[in-house]
Amino acid sequence: MIKVLIVDDAAFMRLAIKNMLQNNGFEVVGEAANGLEGLESYKQLQPDVVTMDITMPEMSGLEALPEIMKFDPKAKVVMVSAMGQESMVRQAVALGAKSFIIKPFKEDVVVKTLNQVNALK
Amino acid sequence: MAGNYSNESMLDLYIFETSNLLEQLEHSILASEKSNHISKDDVNEIFRIMHTIKGSSAMMLFDNIASLAHSIEDLFYFIRENDPREVDCSALSDIVLEGVDFLKVELEKVKAKDPVDGDAQRLKETIADFLNKLKLQNSSAEKVFTSRKETKKNSVEDLKDMPEDIEEITEKIPEEKPRYYIAPNITEPPAALSKKNWYKAVIFYQDGCEMENIRAYTVIHNLKEIVDKYIFTPEDIIENDLSAQVIKEQGFTVVLRTDKSYEEMHEFFMQTIFLRELKLEQIEDQEDEPVMNQHENALTPQIPVLQTVEREEKAEKEVSLSSAQQSIISVNVAKLDRLMDLVGEMVIAEAMVTQNPDLKGLQLDNFYKAARQFGKITGELQDMVMAIRMVPLSTTFHKMHRIVRDMSKKLNKEVRLEIIGEETEVDKNIIEHISDPLMHLIRNAIDHGIEAAGERVAAEKSKAGTITLEAKNAGSDVLIIVRDDGKGLNKEKILSRARQNGLLTKSEQEISDREIFNLIFLPGFSTKENITEFSGRGVGMDVVSKNIQTVGGSVSVDSTEGAGTAITMKIPLTLAIIGGMNIKVGNSRYTIPTISIRESFRPKESDIIRDPDENEMIMVRGECYPVIRLHTLYKVKTEITELSQGIFIMVEDEETSCCIFADELLGEQQVVVKALPYYIQNFKKDNVLGGCTLLGDGSISLILDIQSITRLVKK
Repeated sequence: MIKVLIVDDAAFMRLAIKNMLQNNGFEVVGEAANGLEGLESYKQLQPDVVTMDITMPEMSGLEALPEIMKFDPKAKVVMVSAMGQESMVRQAVALGAKSFIIKPFKEDVVVKTLNQVNALK
Repeated sequence: MAGNYSNESMLDLYIFETSNLLEQLEHSILASEKSNHISKDDVNEIFRIMHTIKGSSAMMLFDNIASLAHSIEDLFYFIRENDPREVDCSALSDIVLEGVDFLKVELEKVKAKDPVDGDAQRLKETIADFLNKLKLQNSSAEKVFTSRKETKKNSVEDLKDMPEDIEEITEKIPEEKPRYYIAPNITEPPAALSKKNWYKAVIFYQDGCEMENIRAYTVIHNLKEIVDKYIFTPEDIIENDLSAQVIKEQGFTVVLRTDKSYEEMHEFFMQTIFLRELKLEQIEDQEDEPVMNQHENALTPQIPVLQTVEREEKAEKEVSLSSAQQSIISVNVAKLDRLMDLVGEMVIAEAMVTQNPDLKGLQLDNFYKAARQFGKITGELQDMVMAIRMVPLSTTFHKMHRIVRDMSKKLNKEVRLEIIGEETEVDKNIIEHISDPLMHLIRNAIDHGIEAAGERVAAEKSKAGTITLEAKNAGSDVLIIVRDDGKGLNKEKILSRARQNGLLTKSEQEISDREIFNLIFLPGFSTKENITEFSGRGVGMDVVSKNIQTVGGSVSVDSTEGAGTAITMKIPLTLAIIGGMNIKVGNSRYTIPTISIRESFRPKESDIIRDPDENEMIMVRGECYPVIRLHTLYKVKTEITELSQGIFIMVEDEETSCCIFADELLGEQQVVVKALPYYIQNFKKDNVLGGCTLLGDGSISLILDIQSITRLVKK
């Protein structure tokens, strides 16, 4: 099973992603409500894939991403972004994010993205 | 979409989270309005809240909510990015609060499962106007903003679509040095160069994957690790989001040089996410760099090297903090209610075991030792369950800011709200019952209590009125006091109104000030002739006192004419389990809350006094207390009617004390309060029962309400 860590400040979004993933045989190993928690959880849980919201309090997704990459250069992080955040997504990609999901997202898009990102070498 | 994967809990969470966010939003906007300054943190917070609401609502397909949230988000985005000096704080607050109200109404519709159909068009236009005005006012700042963009050859259209931090990226692109290729990060020995192969790849993405340009950028970003030269088209994927459309239609083309084999390159490209089609061909024996005809002047942007913020130190410091946050979970209140019920049942069961009639007369040392241990643990468990259910009053209190603000604006009065002791905790169930009464009291205080500014100045008071909302613990009760420094209550007016409505039960000479003030809590009492929008709609203070009484509390008034009014709500910390003294009268059992008992004693015949009306009183340490015989009050048959044979329990509420006469004391224990059945509650008007409980031997005990009993004495 693919182990996923969900980082999002909105509990609703975490539940939405979690439901979608659990319906499709992923294992959600952890949830975090901001970048800082996300970074800690990553170190502890060592998930296969991380979904990372961009706009978050304490530490944003863009700030947490390089920290995770520093800890694990092979980390597979998928950004979760809204329309209108194109430039942030670009920054995230430059910082090492493997792909991104646009809110509002559909189940098949999330599943496909995570499957493909997990398959990356 | 919502139906596909969602269940009730998704909707529940959406409602829960969104209403919390709205409350938080309201709070920050009111706070910043008060200080007449919007701090950077507030702007960030409001932006983030709106961003979250937008995202969640779009997921739930509540498009009208999402779109309003989006326009507020845009507004705050502008404020965040441009930090305009001249922001009309009050107008901004009005807009945001109007938005909050709209969202709240829509959220209520969601809760009620009504169609979510509110139209926010007008509000969105207001927001757009406001934003435009802001932009004009800050035109100098704006000029810098746009001119910078123009150098990047971005159309104004683009600005709207990609407002975020564009400078950060584009600034790092060397504009004046058009280059066709970029040196790779890894410097390779020159000898390896000879082996290089040229490839041309065309990538098509699946429909509907969105942001194709950034997906293409992802490819380039990964590519730079393994190739040393590349050119791609369309070339403006970073700066121009319109390139997404081009890629959608014509595909994304990369020409590159690497020492990887065809298979390796094929594998690389096949990993592309949302790949629909890949055309990969090797370009044979090319000595020179291939030129792409149609894009001769193509500028290949360097992959921007972004500076990552050094946050390590901070991260380390906050680690402990973040793990502390994670140790908090949210629990459904229904589960807590159930837990409370179960603990209540267990307390009863414990009593049933340890006080079992079968144990009578047996010598069971070990049993009682174990029972004591058991009792200690149930007691602790009970305390813990209570503690879990305790919630601070702060949320309820802070809601009042909004009411004060709206009312003082409408009534054109200047009113300050001061909050003291918001951290005081009460039971979750009780909190739900005090929000409405509190709101009513605050409205009353602003509407009837606080005078108009002119009147206040004439009375040598400060121009702005003050309302103080205070909470504090007092024994097993919490006192919530709403105090205003307004004109106070007019005794004459209250009396004449009470006379008109036939509410007076005492002669006017006998009635005390306190009793006069308490008249306002009677049903059908209202001294205000003019009905305003906010108060005096016929639902008066009697509703407040009724609401408070349902949670076992009481309301009292204190007022000084000209100086203000204070209304005190006394509320029990918790409802469900109380310490009680069980007493016996004939075959009946009664329970008196331990907290009200001052002492119990066996009377001497000589201390008993009878007045000419045959009212009995007892003299204790020089003070005279009225006697209430439970057996006559409830017409219970008992053999003990001589006062010297039974026992007296002296009880008191805040002002009055009296002595209850019973046959004997049975002992003290924790009792679970159960509500009386309705037919008993309605049976008698001056019911002195607060509820009932089940005793260890299975019998029912009636819980006496001490306040009602002392009231009997006063009559």
